Amino acid sequence: SFENRLAFRWFWLPEPVRPLHGSGCGQQQEAVGMEMRPETFSIFRTQENDPDCQSEQHQGQYYTVPPSHFHTVFPHGLPPRYQQQVKTFNEGCVMVRQPALELISHLKRADYSKPTLRYLLYGVKGSGKTMSLCHTVHYCSTQGWLVLHIPDAHLWVKNCKELLPSSYHASRFDQPIQASNWLRNFRTTNENFLSKIKLRQRYVWTKRESTEEGQPLGELVDMGVSRVKSSSDVVGAVLKELRLQAGGTEGGFRLAVAVDGVNGLWGRTTLKKEDKSPVAPEELTLVHNLRKMINNDWCGGAVIATLSQTGSLYAPSSAYLPQELLGEEGFDSMDPFIPVPVSLYSEKEFESCYLYYLDRHWLQHPHSQTEEGKKELIFLSNRNPSVLERLCAFL
Amino acid sequence: MASTSGLRTTLSKMAASLTGLLKPWTPRVLLVRWSRYNPYYLEPEPRKEVYHIPETELTPEQKEERELKSVRPIKAATNSVTSSVFNDPVLSKFVNMMMKDGDKIIAKGIITQTLENMKRKQVEKYHKAPEGKKAEIECNPYAIFHQALENCKPVIGLASIQKGGKFYQVPIPLTDNRRRFLAMKWMITECRDNKHRRTLMYEKLSQELLAAFSKEGNVVKRKHELHKMAESNRAYAHYRWW
Repeated sequence: SFENRLAFRWFWLPEPVRPLHGSGCGQQQEAVGMEMRPETFSIFRTQENDPDCQSEQHQGQYYTVPPSHFHTVFPHGLPPRYQQQVKTFNEGCVMVRQPALELISHLKRADYSKPTLRYLLYGVKGSGKTMSLCHTVHYCSTQGWLVLHIPDAHLWVKNCKELLPSSYHASRFDQPIQASNWLRNFRTTNENFLSKIKLRQRYVWTKRESTEEGQPLGELVDMGVSRVKSSSDVVGAVLKELRLQAGGTEGGFRLAVAVDGVNGLWGRTTLKKEDKSPVAPEELTLVHNLRKMINNDWCGGAVIATLSQTGSLYAPSSAYLPQELLGEEGFDSMDPFIPVPVSLYSEKEFESCYLYYLDRHWLQHPHSQTEEGKKELIFLSNRNPSVLERLCAFL
Repeated sequence: MASTSGLRTTLSKMAASLTGLLKPWTPRVLLVRWSRYNPYYLEPEPRKEVYHIPETELTPEQKEERELKSVRPIKAATNSVTSSVFNDPVLSKFVNMMMKDGDKIIAKGIITQTLENMKRKQVEKYHKAPEGKKAEIECNPYAIFHQALENCKPVIGLASIQKGGKFYQVPIPLTDNRRRFLAMKWMITECRDNKHRRTLMYEKLSQELLAAFSKEGNVVKRKHELHKMAESNRAYAHYRWW
């Protein structure tokens, strides 16, 4: 009845749609893993699971990422608390919000014969930048683009146990573990492209090993995963190949480079060389190659980046604007870019989130289901999505 | 709590009137955050409902109380009193017992992680269960906590009483406060002692609470052992003189 009261405020409530199949369908698929629920009408959910067809009318509503897509599109890249939530609720639901819709509309109308456009999502801590990025990545995936998703650029500039001197360039350093992990996830995401893209150059790894021209990209990636020592150079080669072939007319595909925490590529690292002197980000192979990717000297795709203060190094916790987090060098490299601000939940989005948690039996405290409790939640969280999620976790 | 503070204030008023302290008094140094106050000070009222009663519906005693509050100084409220609807006195007591070296932030953090962990396990079970079994699964972590604590509370306790040079374990009735204290103490010591070095406190605590909720686990076992000891020492029950 709580839902119905709200329904009359926002929408006209039509007849509830009868489930298309019986509950037997839901029960059979429970054994598989995630459930496909029978379709009933609710205010905070939308049946439009295809990001292509979502528009402003779906704003504030949750759409379900189909379970079959989930592990291929998002092997990495989702926030850890959200992954826990997906496991608990047995479904992956993402809210359709204005920044993601804006990004998707830009991507639909952009001209891909011109140099790449760079989009930058920025906002206060916990406002939903990573989730908007993941929504856009899902859209790119469903449209058949090749997605290059770097889950957190900060992971490449800190906490690296093994730092090998690079074989290709004397003054650079390799990070074998991070590179091989990323290649593995890249392989899961883009299985279908690996056999179609052919290399345009011969790569020599050691005296005995080389990858010939014309080989499929999959071989290169497999080699990088198995030979961990040269995996950073493999990453560089993969990025170069994709950059060259992205805008091509014969068998051309569109390339989406999605980087979370892009401010980690400029600035400082916490890594040290053997003589205890600090390592600059340019001296890391992975960062060097990724910076070339973010430059807009190639065409046939888009670069979508997020700023992040959470994992950043030597940045004050109140900083969230592009100028503050990217620094001078980073801002000059990213300039010109299209800034997309991500704000806290609006009233409608908050209502939607609250109803979703109620529906999934997540708000269990008896007082949290009353008006008083709801006012207190608004007051305590200030409508900040991540703070609200942490509050509702123990209520 | 209201009755004990009322008793305390009447006793202190008796003591104060004897020494003539209950007169308008302001300290020369303003005291903040002390637990010992001049009896002239009144208790703070944290509940929101009291302030929402409109003027017309107040009883004469409440009107008198309000007038008194406008002239008398009021004690500072401690950090643990809130007007929040989510305030739970039993949980606050548990947090205080878990606290070490006055670090309430860490203790409260552990308890919130425990509640979240319990809820996550139960909600996951709920969503994977078939329709018929869903109603039996309890998802509310607060309900589980209270029920688990109830299941751990002993009904009867033992006291060491000396009679004729020897000490006997005599079964005695326990007050509610003592029972609650024992249940919480056993739960905390069990989770601190019998866990693997790598298991975190909140993980072990959530496991124990869920076990106690279904009347299994080491804490209810300890309660049963106490009951058995009391049962076996029934013969000495007449050694108790109160």
